[in-house]
Amino acid sequence: MKKKLTLTLLFLSTLVYCQKQIDPTPEDITQAKSLKVVYPDDDVVLINSNDYIEFDINKDNQQVIVNHKVDQNLMNISSRADIQTYDMYNSESNVEYFIIKYRNDKEAPFSPKYESYTSNDLFHNDTKVVYTNLDFPVQGYQYALSSKKKYEDIKYFTSIYFPDDYPILNRTITFVVPDWLELELKEMNFDGFDIEKTEVYDEKNKTRTISFTVSNLDAHYDDKMAPGPSFIYPHILVLAKSFTYKKESHTLFKNTKDLYAWYKSLVDDMTDEPFQFQGKVSELTSNTSSDEEKIKNIYYWVQDNIRYIAFEDGIAGFKPDDSQNVYNKRYGDCKGMANLIKQMLILAGFDARLTWIGTNHIAYDYSTPSLSVDNHMICTVIKDGKKIFLDGTEKYNPFGEYAERIQGKQALIENGDDYILEQIPVATSADNQSHFIYNAKIENDEIVGDAHITYKGESKASFLYNYNNLMTNKKGEALNFYLNNGDHNIIVADINPSDFNDRENDLNLDYHLILKNTISSFDGTIYLDLDKDREFATYNLEDRKTDLVFNFKKHLESEINLEIPEGYTIEHLPEAIDEENEDFKIHLSYNLNNNILEYKKLFIIKNAKIKKATFEHWNKTIERLKSTYNEQLILTLSK
Amino acid sequence: MTNKLILSLFLLMSITIGYSQTKDQIKKIAAVEEKLWGAEAPYHDVFEIPQKWESESAVYIYRSVNYYYIRPQNSIEYTRVVRNRIKLLDQAAVNDYSEFKYKNNNAKQKHLYTFHLGLKVIKPNGEEHIVDVKEEKIEGEEETKLAIPNLEKGDIIDYYFYSDMIPGENDLYRFDEVEETVEATYPIMNYEFNLYTEKDFFISFNTYNGAPELQEQDVAEKKKRHYSFEMKDVDENTYPRWFYPYVELPCYKFQVNFARTRKNEKRAYAFIPEEDFDIKKTVTKEEVYTFYEDKLAPSGDIKQVRHFIKEHDFKSQTELVTAVFYFMRHKFYTNYIEAIVIEDAKIMNPFAYYMNAIFFNNDESFVRYFAQVLKDQKIDYEILVGTKRFNGSIDELLLEYNADFVLKVNTETPLYIDTFDAYATINKISPLLENSEAYSLKTTKKAVISEIAHAKLPASTYEENNSKEVANISFKDGFEGLVIDRNSYHIGHNKSDEQKSRLEYFDFVYEDYDKYNSTSVLEFAGKKKDRERHKTEYESLLKKLKEKQQENCKKLTSSEYDLKLDDYSFEVIKTGRFKTGDPLELKEHFTTEGDLIKKAGPSYILEVGKLIGGQFEVNEKTKERTQNVYSQNPRSYTNEVNITIPEGYEVSGIDKLNFNIDNITGAFESSASLDGNTLKIQTNKSYKNYFEPNSNWPLMLEFLVAANQFNEVKILFKKS
Repeated sequence: MKKKLTLTLLFLSTLVYCQKQIDPTPEDITQAKSLKVVYPDDDVVLINSNDYIEFDINKDNQQVIVNHKVDQNLMNISSRADIQTYDMYNSESNVEYFIIKYRNDKEAPFSPKYESYTSNDLFHNDTKVVYTNLDFPVQGYQYALSSKKKYEDIKYFTSIYFPDDYPILNRTITFVVPDWLELELKEMNFDGFDIEKTEVYDEKNKTRTISFTVSNLDAHYDDKMAPGPSFIYPHILVLAKSFTYKKESHTLFKNTKDLYAWYKSLVDDMTDEPFQFQGKVSELTSNTSSDEEKIKNIYYWVQDNIRYIAFEDGIAGFKPDDSQNVYNKRYGDCKGMANLIKQMLILAGFDARLTWIGTNHIAYDYSTPSLSVDNHMICTVIKDGKKIFLDGTEKYNPFGEYAERIQGKQALIENGDDYILEQIPVATSADNQSHFIYNAKIENDEIVGDAHITYKGESKASFLYNYNNLMTNKKGEALNFYLNNGDHNIIVADINPSDFNDRENDLNLDYHLILKNTISSFDGTIYLDLDKDREFATYNLEDRKTDLVFNFKKHLESEINLEIPEGYTIEHLPEAIDEENEDFKIHLSYNLNNNILEYKKLFIIKNAKIKKATFEHWNKTIERLKSTYNEQLILTLSK
Repeated sequence: MTNKLILSLFLLMSITIGYSQTKDQIKKIAAVEEKLWGAEAPYHDVFEIPQKWESESAVYIYRSVNYYYIRPQNSIEYTRVVRNRIKLLDQAAVNDYSEFKYKNNNAKQKHLYTFHLGLKVIKPNGEEHIVDVKEEKIEGEEETKLAIPNLEKGDIIDYYFYSDMIPGENDLYRFDEVEETVEATYPIMNYEFNLYTEKDFFISFNTYNGAPELQEQDVAEKKKRHYSFEMKDVDENTYPRWFYPYVELPCYKFQVNFARTRKNEKRAYAFIPEEDFDIKKTVTKEEVYTFYEDKLAPSGDIKQVRHFIKEHDFKSQTELVTAVFYFMRHKFYTNYIEAIVIEDAKIMNPFAYYMNAIFFNNDESFVRYFAQVLKDQKIDYEILVGTKRFNGSIDELLLEYNADFVLKVNTETPLYIDTFDAYATINKISPLLENSEAYSLKTTKKAVISEIAHAKLPASTYEENNSKEVANISFKDGFEGLVIDRNSYHIGHNKSDEQKSRLEYFDFVYEDYDKYNSTSVLEFAGKKKDRERHKTEYESLLKKLKEKQQENCKKLTSSEYDLKLDDYSFEVIKTGRFKTGDPLELKEHFTTEGDLIKKAGPSYILEVGKLIGGQFEVNEKTKERTQNVYSQNPRSYTNEVNITIPEGYEVSGIDKLNFNIDNITGAFESSASLDGNTLKIQTNKSYKNYFEPNSNWPLMLEFLVAANQFNEVKILFKKS
């Protein structure tokens, strides 16, 4: 029986209808209207948001418990709003209640839903979400949210951020810290925000009550390619150092050594059985002429043969999987890969160590003893006193080169009961150069010639990774699509590439290139639109709130050498652009060299970042760039 | 894992559930596994692939699809077992198969479900590693995940899904219809299909487009039956645009019905064979007649319609039928929409006021109701039984769910009535049924279905399915951008698409309220004291929905031109809901930045060809098409672009805007002229037919390429 009539009526509705007698007051409506002027892109504003954090001790396991209560008043500032309010928790925390109330403090009949949270980046994680759908039927309508989250172990309560998904009029975060707990509240990114701090000591209860208050905070920024939250939002790092229970002092993370000691305790608990891959190590290291070749063979084998599949479930989020498991399964997360590389190198006779590191998504270094300092693990091999870092998750990464995300970051290297801190070397943008050269002439209203591209460093690694993960029978088509930028007016033929499996040398591509529909002729004059790439033309950052972060330092160089047809002259060449500051260098120039028109471009993003401080210069340069891209070259017949 | 693979797993898994397996099921799975993976299992010793497929991403060495319909003890049982043995030739294929995810079926149903996944990895040296799925899988609330260990390029992955269902009913049961093409993302060396049934299972089955016929195999036990077919060397799928896979590719369709007794057989809602040992391959028109004779008999409480007719003085049957159709469309459809929106927004629950509402929840109930009206008014009619063109022809109809109904009312000029929704109009039938053969169920004066004959469903022309867009364009100061005022007019099937994508319920519900003197649900539902509040809340909702509609239409227009738009506004001038030929009329205003304007010294170049919107892109690959071309319906697009030439400028290059390609498959024609300070451009593009044989593809390319070329045309605005 067919059912193509799509209108369905639920005559027996199970939905709960709220008591709607809690209409907004005229004052609420006036407030909502004025807030809409301030926050035109938002639907809901948090009128108040109060966090209240207390500490306790679990007498059974002698761990410090954190009780985190939240009370919020949410107001709809649009004509209507339908939102989802939520909180996250995991195996180390639990949401004890999550209650929605009307403006008159009566409980609203919303049943919170508790579900697993899935992430595209992680194959499996233990994160769960509690949420409820809230409908605000009219402007000025309010709900109140009360929730309580409990952390069974204070080391997992690492930070608290001031901004939320919605703008906040008033936010207070209060910590009640008992004398038996040594706790540091580290103020991060407070500059530029009017955050007031008060502290009161309660003699009776022997507690310090520390409150932070802030007004008029914007919602989380909606910028793409933004720095990690720890760089941009005001927040408090919670550093639990020690506590005293029954007159006995217990150290938590007082300093980096304590953090390392905990990490090491997890590592010591592993049961590696490297003999299981002894054969593979022998195979990889036999017939080699140097130690470097041996290390490379092992490192590249892990890159190429161990798939990245991440599990973040309780302690598995911190403890590496045993090396034989990763080897036998041929998959693992960063910790598993780092440990496999370590164990293989040790079998091969090298000094290899596990190494904890925070990527450039995290603003802290190891001067802050906290679990929020790092999010990644690599392997360090120490050879002739020199430390070389090996990241198994970085596919097509050559030995001795490092991904942008770890460059300049502090690495915590295992060293028995002690540890070593070392900074990862920093590359230059020139190391990631891509260089395009096109020697062309005009034939039958088309631009025809030979092109050559060279990729180095991370521009090469990302190309090789993407290319080698394509279906073999689609690779030709995909390469064509990549080189013609999906533009049917750009014809690519006779591609002659260097070795797509060679991660150590530059990648070179030679090909024949035809640009169609780029020449217009009117009344004997030729109008030429030479630039099909228009790099960065869409990168106006006027509305942006945060630094623009690229995945790696850029160095894009382009040279087009066009032969001017006999008898033609160029009336006017666009003005050159030459702009440079600490973040970028942009150069564009046209030059006529006999009958060859030389069009050169150079774009350097020096530190993989355009900082807010240089936005004005950047935006002006981009506008000039766009204007030049839009200029046609005019070729007229000489008289 | 690719989306495609996830999708196919989800489809498979949509009937499965992770219940613990019973002892019987464990035994059955073990037997299946022995058959699929044991020493005698087919292709267990094949490791190599033909040279011609060495540059593929992966190759199916063996794909085996098996259906079991059996009757253990007093129950009935369905099992689907699919085994794939695939050689993974590159990293992309390894990535695709490195993770398996499947939805859990958490619905509480009266059926018993069992699911099992068996999986092993075979290394190039022949070493086999059976994955301990029970140990390795991670069972979540919604889905189960499995990361495949030790999988590398060059390996063979050999896995099977076992899905079993024991329905709650055991006298009469209609199993889901199956329609599948014999192809996959990768080439298949050996494809095998098996169907195992027993007594009292009635099978309708046929293969199409070159798939081999189903063969009955010898079976020792009398009550059991086994049918199968095999295929070799099946190329990977490539789905081009305008393509119907069930008409072009080797495929099979079938349905199994269980009927314990003759009485149950008669009750089966499907075309089934006379005897359970027969395979039904086709359905004759006589069988169609017998099946629908009673099922489509007039039925329904038509008091409201009678009342409507009585209140009006219709001059003809055509007028009456037309008016009744639109009355019903409102009374039994659009009249409920506001209530649904109000309930969905949790403003109140108005459904108590609709307890005895008439509502058609399937095609049959609508056809029967309308037939009852026609019978009552003594108007002659027929019911046309057709099938959508992507299913093949009506002669190939096998599955009842592929049948569609169109009412043909034999008024002075026949009227055709099909889809019943908010935009349905008289004489507009599904474009996928148009121009196809059908069966006509003819009725007697007393509206009894009395005979069946062949009939042809009406066709529409490209002129009748037209979109016309008139854009008046001027330059923003100093050629910085464009200001565009666009009026569009859509008729026929082009109108249906636009109505569905652009209109919202409030664009037509209140139009219907006015026409039929209906009252908003807010005027009578809920407690009196709450009504003002409900109205306020509803107005807030309406405001929000109208804002969203503006955003949606802005996105649609932006993607038509592939341009960022600013200062956008959208208005519905006419909904075009009361005649197929009445246009849907829309009005838009927007501006663009200078994306289409290039500075050329003191002059400016405008990419004028882009102002008719994006065109189907012809590239080298599309030119090489080998398949026939299947269009939904003939259609045409007219563009009028009027550009105001800024003072002090003159235009060069107008001659480049003239194209004139017109052949039997379609056309692209354009012209341009100057009228004072206005450049007037007109284009017409048409697709003339429902179907083009591949031999006509070069003719289609002629006008498609012309449209592409027009898209690239630029003109020069030169200082005079």
